[in-house]
Amino acid sequence: MLKYIGKRLFYIVCVFFIISIIFFFLYNAIPGDRAMMQIAHLQGKVSEEQFQRMYQDVRNQLGLDDPAIVQYGKWMGGILTGDFGFSTFYKQDVIDVVVDPMKNTIFINVFSVILALAVTIPLGIFCAVKKNSAFDKGVQVATIVGYSVPVFIIGLVCIFVFAVKLGWFPVSGMGTPNFQGTPWEAFWDKLYYLCLPLIVMTLGSLGGMTRYVRAAMIDALGQDYIRTARAKGLREKVVIFSHAWRNALLPVVTLIIGWFLSIFSGSLMIENMFGLNGMGKLYITALMNQDYDLAMAVQLFYVVISLVGNLLVDLSYGIVDPRVRITE
Amino acid sequence: MSEKQKNNARKNSLFQRLFGGKQGKSIFEEEQVQSPSKTVLKNFISNKLSVGAVLILVVMFAAVFIGSSFVTLDLSYAESSQQNVAPGLSLLSVPNALKENGASLSAGSTFSVGADKDGNVYVWGHPDISKTISMEQIPEDMGKVTMVSAGYDHAIAVNENNEVFCWGNDRLKQCAVPTQDIASHGNVVQVLAGYQISVALMEDGYVLYWGNAALNDVMISSEVQGTIAKVALTSDALIGLTFDGEVVYLGGQKTAYSTVPESLKSGVVDIAATGSTCAGLLENGEVVVWGNITKSEGTVPAVDGKIVSLVGGRYHYVGLTDKGSVVAWGDNTFGQLKLPSSVGEGITQVFSGFYQNYALDEDGNVHSWGLKGYVFGTDGLGRDILTRLVHGGKMTMTIGAIAVVISTVIGIIVGCMAGYFGGKVDMFLMRVAEIISAMPFLPFAMILSSIIGNSLSETQRIFLIMVILGVLSWSGLARLVRAQVLSQREQEFVTAAKAMGVKQSAIVFKHILPNVISTIIVNATLSFATCLLTESSLSYLGFGVSLPRPTWGNMLTGSNNSIVIQNYWWQWVFPALALSICVICINTVGDGLRDAIDPKSNER
Repeated sequence: MLKYIGKRLFYIVCVFFIISIIFFFLYNAIPGDRAMMQIAHLQGKVSEEQFQRMYQDVRNQLGLDDPAIVQYGKWMGGILTGDFGFSTFYKQDVIDVVVDPMKNTIFINVFSVILALAVTIPLGIFCAVKKNSAFDKGVQVATIVGYSVPVFIIGLVCIFVFAVKLGWFPVSGMGTPNFQGTPWEAFWDKLYYLCLPLIVMTLGSLGGMTRYVRAAMIDALGQDYIRTARAKGLREKVVIFSHAWRNALLPVVTLIIGWFLSIFSGSLMIENMFGLNGMGKLYITALMNQDYDLAMAVQLFYVVISLVGNLLVDLSYGIVDPRVRITE
Repeated sequence: MSEKQKNNARKNSLFQRLFGGKQGKSIFEEEQVQSPSKTVLKNFISNKLSVGAVLILVVMFAAVFIGSSFVTLDLSYAESSQQNVAPGLSLLSVPNALKENGASLSAGSTFSVGADKDGNVYVWGHPDISKTISMEQIPEDMGKVTMVSAGYDHAIAVNENNEVFCWGNDRLKQCAVPTQDIASHGNVVQVLAGYQISVALMEDGYVLYWGNAALNDVMISSEVQGTIAKVALTSDALIGLTFDGEVVYLGGQKTAYSTVPESLKSGVVDIAATGSTCAGLLENGEVVVWGNITKSEGTVPAVDGKIVSLVGGRYHYVGLTDKGSVVAWGDNTFGQLKLPSSVGEGITQVFSGFYQNYALDEDGNVHSWGLKGYVFGTDGLGRDILTRLVHGGKMTMTIGAIAVVISTVIGIIVGCMAGYFGGKVDMFLMRVAEIISAMPFLPFAMILSSIIGNSLSETQRIFLIMVILGVLSWSGLARLVRAQVLSQREQEFVTAAKAMGVKQSAIVFKHILPNVISTIIVNATLSFATCLLTESSLSYLGFGVSLPRPTWGNMLTGSNNSIVIQNYWWQWVFPALALSICVICINTVGDGLRDAIDPKSNER
């Protein structure tokens, strides 16, 4: 098992470097002179000669005249030591800009995963047990709708119903402006504002997840040991939860992790819709304002999340299914 | 067998081939074996849900691809007077009480006002100007109204006692009637409601105006004040006709209207104005048009008889001849020139405004033609949602389809090669696939589109989106195909093909691929749905196809605020519905196909 983990880790690190190389060359493919951009505002204010000298200084400082491989080395070295560059839009180091949104994004995603699991697992199990009943068929249709409708449309409908018509939740924002109160009250205020985005994210992920759980559970319920358990005269509850569900859990766990990653992309839409201060919003702001240092950092965040997720999926497969370890 | 029987048999078999009816065979003859594709088809057709989805999809495809050639899309189109119009076709629905009893009518931007012979005032069309202002809030006690005029967002009425009433949007004081001035000048002979301005022409040739005279270039010099017989309003200027038959410009600035053509210095009997042009009618029936002529307002058609009076809409003119017939020219976007057959002869008066036209005959019957309304409403720039929906759907589906083709081709090639050759090729290709699938899709597509897309033209950008979607989404299919090929590779027919000396590429693509094609079809169907969703998400965020070219995604871009969501529901409900229904149907069809091909999955 250790050897397997080591192998996967090594592989993930390799992939990270390959992706970072791709990004680096993409980054350098952006038209425009970065040195000129940094000091363009000084042009005309200082003498031409002085300006040229400053320009050359900045070029040297940014290392724009170095060969590409050296530039990549410097950039990667900076990233590994926590120096992600300078955000031209926020006029701050990228690392300072990113911290708060990252906390928010992780909070939203983890929270909505927990919410979604709390709904989908019981629902999936129930549907599997009552397979082909009217309720199950209704849920099947609803789940097709659920995973077909894009999350921004679910968002629009939810805003219309819950925020505009019923007025239960605020339309957008992360908290009451100029909120004053104890930290505890501030937390509740924030949670109140996050309610609607969380509902939308959860609704958006219900469809696919319910189908997974249902399929895994039906598979488990079709096994011979279930028949044996029933033949022994065990109570149906015990059969379902103790025998079937435990076995269905294994594929579900691996799926949950993979799905956990995909919702980070979904949260990008949600953050943009509801004006939440998260990584997705930051990413869009950075791209819209050509702040590529910042965009790169956020992009790397998504890559790392995705790679770590892949690693976890691999590892959980390894734990669940010993055959994987042998063939790899 | 006689000739007739033979013919019959042939007919039967043709019928059977087309519609698959069964011929009464005896039990010994009955064919027991069905070809796999027939089984799949039979399974699929037995699934009512999927068949329904296929039907809906076919209808949508037809509407989008055939419909788009019927409705033309003008990308630069914007019409401020038609902003945020609710769905409906009521713009020309004249109230029954007025239909046979009309006296004075006037068409505003999206509503019309009319007075009948008894002096009652009616409003129809879309009377809601804002949440609180409605044109239906007609002032009470107006008495017997003789004249009405409807403008951009307000209306004016004059009663028999020479009292002027004004209602609608009063934000720029366009409804602040100067009662005393009016009283001091005698009778009102003409009223005009324009864009943020109201004009009243008095019996003594005096022109009174109120409202926003800064936006509208209105400045009447003392030389002409008191000599005016008729006035006409463009969307931002006022012209007048003097008692002597001369056309004068009633503004202070130099504009396209201010230089009145020489021929209109005398002998003019009528004037009219569209949104951006003015026209004068000479005694001999000749019409002279000047101003910003953009939609062939100046091309007067040959007329049977002589034009005796003239009115102007938004971009078209309507003339009334001495024989009582009507002639119209100019812009025909909404059928403003398509006269109904009932407007033949005996017309005494015509009224035009914006895109609606009304004609009164001798008996007071009201005939109407022009813009009826918008089936799905209009958006914030006055563009018809239905047109954009049809063209947006074409764009969304085309991008999705081409992206699927790209990803399927790459997926098949990579999967087949990796699966068949194995070893280092497999190792390499699968690592590439893993790297591609490890990249978070949406963020990566966004950064690609923003870095590469900045320097591209619009068409290139659309191709870029297709390629990005295609190139980033093949890894799943490649893995699937690889697994299938791996299982097929060891089958006897491959060994046989090898033994016969068939080329390797032929073995992979001609012998193995047909056996895995069903998986590929199902996968392509489902990934078509995914591509539609991704394209919409990208366009919605502003990183896909850019405005003003519509797609179902970017039609929703503007709707992300509570004002649009609440007040202009049609602007987001229709694109959202179209996209959702389309994706739901594709997914249903994909699921149905999978169940049909692999009946075992039905048991799940």
